[in-house]
Amino acid sequence: MADNNVSRAEYVSMEEQPRLITLNNISKEYDGVTVLDHINLYIRKKEFVTLLGPSGCGKTTTLRIIGGFETPTEGTVIFDGQDITNLPAYKRRVNTVFQKYALFPHLNVADNIAFGLKLKKTPKDEIARKVDRMLELVNLSGYGKRSVESLSGGQQQRIAIARALVNEPEVLLLDEPLGALDLKLRKEMQLELKSMQQRLGITFLYVTHDQEEALTMSDTIVVMRGGRILQIGTPKGIYDEPKNAFVANFIGESNIVPGVMLKDELVEFCGARFACVDEGFGENAEVDVVIRPEDIVLVGEDVGHLTGVVRSVLFKGVHYEMMIEAGGILWKVHSTTMEPEGSRVGLSVVPFNIHIMHKMEEANAK
Amino acid sequence: MKKFLQRFYIILILLFLYVPILVLIVQSFNAGKSRAKWEGLSFVWYEELFKSSAIMDALKVTVTIALLAAVISTVLGTLAAIGIYAMKKRPQALMMTLTNIPMTMPDIVTGISLMLLYLFFRVDRGYWTMLLAHITFDIPYVILSVMPKLKQMNKFSYEAALDLGCTPGQALRKVILPAVKPGVVTGAMLAFTLSLDDFTISYFTTSPLVQNLSTLIYSQARKGIKPTLNALSALMFITLLVLLLIVNRRTADNHPVKS
Repeated sequence: MADNNVSRAEYVSMEEQPRLITLNNISKEYDGVTVLDHINLYIRKKEFVTLLGPSGCGKTTTLRIIGGFETPTEGTVIFDGQDITNLPAYKRRVNTVFQKYALFPHLNVADNIAFGLKLKKTPKDEIARKVDRMLELVNLSGYGKRSVESLSGGQQQRIAIARALVNEPEVLLLDEPLGALDLKLRKEMQLELKSMQQRLGITFLYVTHDQEEALTMSDTIVVMRGGRILQIGTPKGIYDEPKNAFVANFIGESNIVPGVMLKDELVEFCGARFACVDEGFGENAEVDVVIRPEDIVLVGEDVGHLTGVVRSVLFKGVHYEMMIEAGGILWKVHSTTMEPEGSRVGLSVVPFNIHIMHKMEEANAK
Repeated sequence: MKKFLQRFYIILILLFLYVPILVLIVQSFNAGKSRAKWEGLSFVWYEELFKSSAIMDALKVTVTIALLAAVISTVLGTLAAIGIYAMKKRPQALMMTLTNIPMTMPDIVTGISLMLLYLFFRVDRGYWTMLLAHITFDIPYVILSVMPKLKQMNKFSYEAALDLGCTPGQALRKVILPAVKPGVVTGAMLAFTLSLDDFTISYFTTSPLVQNLSTLIYSQARKGIKPTLNALSALMFITLLVLLLIVNRRTADNHPVKS
């Protein structure tokens, strides 16, 4: 929680940064299939923005449009006040870290990193200096003469990052760069990337389908689905106030149940009435109610809002995950204390942790 | 017993394949003119071979055409392979089929159809028509050698080059060509070899005035085989053998067999 508070504080200062990239009404069609449907998005200088969504949601296409590898069917890309929609990739002030690294196997590590500098006719001694500095930055000093194929996946990934960063781009685009790494290495690289981004003060646009990765690293998360943006916000903002059931389910785990908003600050679901903090839905409006598994508190059988029976218990390390049947619904509950299978328990939720959302629009639900 | 039969069979096959060539090579060193009688070891036919202006002219034609055809078909074939690789799936499959058909077509069909084409357009047959024909039948083999190398390449390599500031032309030179170089070299050698030993297609696409070695041997053999032809054939066999060994070695290196 503390970490998320820090990012929000940073986000406030982020608002003073000028907008670097703006996507206006971007659409992309392939052979009549709409991959992006009128996307509007801006990215501020020095911001760490993550495009998050399941595969096929259009996140990679959005990145490729900014990189210059795709031309949108409709809409404009503005970079630093200039329309770059039709500018070829090699003239853009962005660099990309590709999914499978795409290092050049016929060049050694140092020549891979120096590739962009040589094209710009940088003097030799300056290239050598910059390459060394980059190798140091990615913790691979002394690897310059190695062949890239002799490196492990994690090392190749670092070289790919160094090869992009050495050109001092204003924006670094990263397309699921950690996807091929194992879990432990991935976690290390997440932290490294984040600290690198903060030290260098470069804007990062990061694409991932891993919600935990997005929550850990981002200043701003853009949740996408079916070629549309569902929600833009800080990690904490999106986690605490998901806009609809899809976002709630995609970011972290959730219990989502149908309910009726009786009036402001009063909702009915599972045959019981609950006080909540949401208002403005009107009276007797059908809504989705979202409750995080860790927000359900187990209490005595008679004192809870709902009474249920424990159906299964899983030990998850930090907590137990229990499936509890109550009010005709199977609730997922995370708790550090365990109730045995078959026992009757009471469930309680404080009003603040009950999130009310509009039923998902049809267009988004497809 | 079974093992003996297996060995025997293989030896039989090899004998049938190589004894004629061996006889030819031995005969090329025979001092006498008769093929029936061994009259002592001699290099006289080799000497005569290099003195014969007809044969030397034919050798020049053969080698220059093989070199030119190899270079031109390698350039065209490599660029074609890159173009086909960049196509979408269905046109790509179509192009590869169109590329494969000429290779499976009998040489005589290719030869006659090229001859008819030249006749139709009233092009006088000679050196340049033969060269054109050789380039034509070489290209598919170059495409086929380069394509696997392109497919092995990381599909983002080209984009990575653009991303780092390459123009499309620079990306081709600095990233794609180095990646497919082994395939290009193999394709060039294959083209050279095929062109060097082609008879059928050359026969139909040149005039009697411009002969390469194989058409010359054919026309002379009709008048009776001179021992110089033994010497010539022996030399051609050795040259092609060496070239093929190199090509095979390269192909084996490019596609290591997983054991």
